[in-house]
Formats: sequence, structure tokens, C-alpha cells
Amino acid sequence: MGKVKKVFLDPLGKNNPVFAQILGICSTLAVTNRLDNTVVMTLGVLFTTTLSSFTISLLRKYIPSRIRMMVETLIIASYVIVVDIVLRAYYPDIWKQLGPYVGLIITNCIIMGRAEAFAMSNPPGLSLIDGLASGIGYSYVLIAIAAVRELLGSGTLWGFTVFGDWWTNWAVMIMPPGAFFMLAVFIWVVKGSILKEEEEKK
Amino acid sequence: MNETIYPVAIFFAAIFTNNILLTNYLGMCSFLSVSKELKTSLGLGAAVTFVMATTTLLNWIVYHQLLIPLKLDYLRFIVFIIVIAAFVQLVEMIIERVSEGLYAALGIFLPLITVNCAILGVSLFMVIREYSLAASFAYGLGSGIGWSLAILAMAGIRQKLAKARVPKGLEGAGITLIITGMMALAFMGFTGMINIS
Amino acid sequence: MSTEVEKPKKKNLFFMERIYPIFFMAAITVVFISVVSWFYLSTEDLVLLNETLFLKRAVLYAADIEAPDDGYALEELFQRRVRESEGSDPLYFRILDEQGNTQGLVLFTIGAGLWGEINAVLGFDPAGETMTGLEFTKQNETPGLGARITEAWFKEQFRGKKGPFVMVPEGTAAAANELDSITGATRTSQSVLGIINNAVRTAAATAKEVN
Repeated sequence: MGKVKKVFLDPLGKNNPVFAQILGICSTLAVTNRLDNTVVMTLGVLFTTTLSSFTISLLRKYIPSRIRMMVETLIIASYVIVVDIVLRAYYPDIWKQLGPYVGLIITNCIIMGRAEAFAMSNPPGLSLIDGLASGIGYSYVLIAIAAVRELLGSGTLWGFTVFGDWWTNWAVMIMPPGAFFMLAVFIWVVKGSILKEEEEKK
Repeated sequence: MNETIYPVAIFFAAIFTNNILLTNYLGMCSFLSVSKELKTSLGLGAAVTFVMATTTLLNWIVYHQLLIPLKLDYLRFIVFIIVIAAFVQLVEMIIERVSEGLYAALGIFLPLITVNCAILGVSLFMVIREYSLAASFAYGLGSGIGWSLAILAMAGIRQKLAKARVPKGLEGAGITLIITGMMALAFMGFTGMINIS
Repeated sequence: MSTEVEKPKKKNLFFMERIYPIFFMAAITVVFISVVSWFYLSTEDLVLLNETLFLKRAVLYAADIEAPDDGYALEELFQRRVRESEGSDPLYFRILDEQGNTQGLVLFTIGAGLWGEINAVLGFDPAGETMTGLEFTKQNETPGLGARITEAWFKEQFRGKKGPFVMVPEGTAAAANELDSITGATRTSQSVLGIINNAVRTAAATAKEVN
């Protein structure tokens, strides 16, 4: 049980893939100007990360080492296509807004990274948890960024007006520079607290 | 097919007003890690431009001549990635045989390129925006140059930055992202330069 | 003796190195693509339905008729109140009131945006002068910038206005022919303005044809 806990908590905290390695932000950063789009995207990433880590771990003993990357890519791509198909059929409005970024989940370094680093050498149960945790760790960072961007940039949260007429929208927040700045601020805050912890330990 | 959008306009727009990295957020991973050095940035930029232009062209052909007639367009994600990976592999093998020097300079970047989201992204955008063959090539080439421009500018800035005092929490990724944000702001100034109509 | 033992080993190695990977790759490709294809085929009809409903919903929105959420109710309302023009490529829709008289006209128009095509449906009164509304059925503009033309505030400003229009900075539209543009999306705003004014100019002529 202890191992399960460790596997789960690790990617949520200091080893959060986004902070530690700035991995995989490409595909989602583009849609973080709206909270609802971001939630849907991160759910897609979560689904893909969890299931592909699980599947790859199940098959790990049979995958020939030479074609390892091709097999991993195939599996990841298949799950992403399923996400894309489901979104298009049941949530067409959101699907239109997400555009090509759903397909770009395939190139998300986190998913491939976890597959290589963990799923290939760990049992399916643990791999599932690792995938789940990495996905969650990824999600909350992007959701936090999206919340700030939408709030400051449009005065709304999930489409509901939060700031009234007194608020002048920070247009820069909706535009690309805003996303970069927000992510930088986030990293600054997190790294700052990690560094402080290390200072205090000394 | 979209005949009303001119390839030349798309070419310039892809470099400046809709830069694949600064406006569409694609290609960040390698951008953040490689932009520390000017020389490597140049090499990676060249490699990315080459691969991007060619694979966009190849993917257009595969998509319109193969996938659509066979009604398999929903498999485009898998097929595009395979085309990109296969092409990169092929290029790597050819370079290795043909030129030791070139391989030493560019060879290491090629595996890095396969997972570069910008390359797949450009092909996907091309499909969504229904570009013609010429427009797709212009878009691929332009996006590659735009990406290279961004990474070169970033490398130049970071070399100067090495001498500046950056708050500890911002070192590395943090300050790079802030600079990226400022570059994105600057590039927004190009809006209005291109007239597509 | 030793060579005979080595031979089967070499053969086995050959199999594992060359044949097995190909076999594995082929098998796994077949499995996964089949699963994906199943998902695709089972949602194909739904996707098609969504697309036709989307266009119909857009037409009703442009005609300022409230559209029900339910697909069947929407379809029924559409059949009752809208008549498509002849030909497979609809150029316009005639809007009828509950008694079957012409209440208005919705034009379908295509134009070029910043990044790709912009398709829109514009609603007018029977004379083709005052607008009843506007909806975009296709656009590829930058999300968060140009794509904001699909936001309610932008589309709502057309109701009851008479073109041709002029664009002013966001939030300052006052006169009857002024429209709020989108901050930071000048090119898209200008393209959309051109598309709308074009449609406005041809609306009166088309209205005469229809009547």
C-alpha cells in the first residue's frame, strides 16, 4: 500500500511533470484562455495517460525492444483518436473550439515519457496509478492557469460573469503572451516554495 | 479546396503574425531546452524547417490522395505521425551515409524532431483549414522559418541573460517563458502586416 | 555436435529479431485500428446529424426564432418555418411565420477570414434591409481573438440594425450603423465586416427575387 501511495503522490507534488520538466504544455496551453475548454482537454490527457500507461504495461513483456517507440506511439495515438471521435460526436461545440489540439495530445511528452520511464518496467496496476497521477498533476496546473486567464482576461469563470462592469478586461491574458507569463509566474511560485523548503532544511 | 487564400500571404503570416510557437504554442519542449546555445539552435531550426516543409507536403498528398478516397480520414493522426517518423528515420539514415559532417551537426536533432508537436500540429492545421497543396507547402515552410526565428532570437537573448541576475525561482524555465511572452507580445505588433483577401 | 545445437538457436534468434517484431506490429496495429474504427463507425451517423442540426440551428438563430434544444423539435420547427432555395447548395432560406407568410430571409455567405474561410448566415426582414440576426457556421480564426466573432455579444449587435456597416473600437458602437470590432483582432474584424457588407448589399436584390 505504501508503494501505491508513493507512486500516486509523487507526480502530484515536486515531480509534477509540468514544473519539473516543463513537459507537455504545448497541447493544452493554447486552450487555457477558457476554463471549460481546458477541463475537457485535461480530461482527454488524463484518459490517454492512464489507459496508455496501463495498456503498455500489460504488453511490456511482449513488445520487442526495437519497435518499442512505434508501438507506444500507436497505442497512445489510438486512445487519442478515440477521445477525438467521442468529443466530435457528443460535444461538437467544444470539439470545434479545441481544433487540432486534441490530436496534439499524441505528441505530449508526458505520455510518452511515463510510458518509457515507468510503464515499460512496472506492473499494470502501478502503471495505471502512475498514469492517473501524472495526468492529474498535469491537469491541476493547467486548470489553475486557465482559471486565472479567463478571470483576468474576460471577467468570467466557465462562462459565468464573475467580475462586473467595473472590471476592465486584461486583454493580454486571453492572448498568447498571457499564457506564457502565467506559466512563468506559476513556476516561480512553486520553485520559490521548493527552494524555501530546502533553505529551511539547511 | 480553399483557393481564396494565397500561399505567399500564408507564408509570411506563418512567420510573423501567426507564428507557430509564439501564437499557437507549439514546439515548446525542444524550444525551451535547446535555446540555451546559439549554434545548436541554428542547427535545430534548420532541421525543423526542412522536416516541417517536407512532411506537410507529404501529409497533404497522403491525406487527399489516400485517406479521403478510402474514407479513412479519421486515422490521420496515426498516419501523419508514421509519415513524420518514417521520414525522419529515412533522413537520418541518408545523412549518416552521405555526410559525416552533416550527421555530426544535425544528426542528433532528428530523433528530437519526431516528437516535436509543431510538426504534427502544422499538418493538422493544414487539414482543418483545408489548404491547397501550394498553400500547405507555404504554410509548412513558413512555420518552420517562424519557429527557427523564435528559437534563434531566444538563444541570442539567453546568451546575454547568462550575465544578468535572475531571481532563483525564475532560473531556467521561468525566465525563458517570460521572455517568450514578451516576444509573443512583440510579434503581435506585426498584425495588420499581412492582407489575406 | 556443437554446430547442430547452435543451428536451432540461431534460427530462434532470427525469428525473435526479425519475424516476431513484424508479426507483433502487424497484430497490434490490426487490433487497435479495429477498436478505433468501431468507435468511428458507431458515431458516424451522430456526427452527420450534429452537422445538419448545427446549420439549421444557425439559420433559426439568424432569423431570430428561438430554437428548441431537442433535435426532433428543432427539425420539426425547421420544416414548418423554413424553406431552402432550390439546388443542393443553399444560397438562401425563406423564413415563414406561423401562418405561412414570408417573414424574412436568411442568406448564406462565404468569405475569406484571416486564416481560412468564414461561412455565415445572415437574417433579414422580407425587404432585405433590416437584419434579424447573424450566425457563423464556419471559421478558423485565432481562438480567443478572431474567434470571438462567435461570441454572443458580437452576434447579438446585428439584430434590428441596417447595413452597410462601419466598425468602431470595441465597446464604443453608438450609431445605428456602427459595430463593435474585436480588440486585438483587427484583421478578422475587417474581413468579417467585408463579408457582412457584401451580403447586405445583395440582400435587397435577393429579397425581390424571392418575393
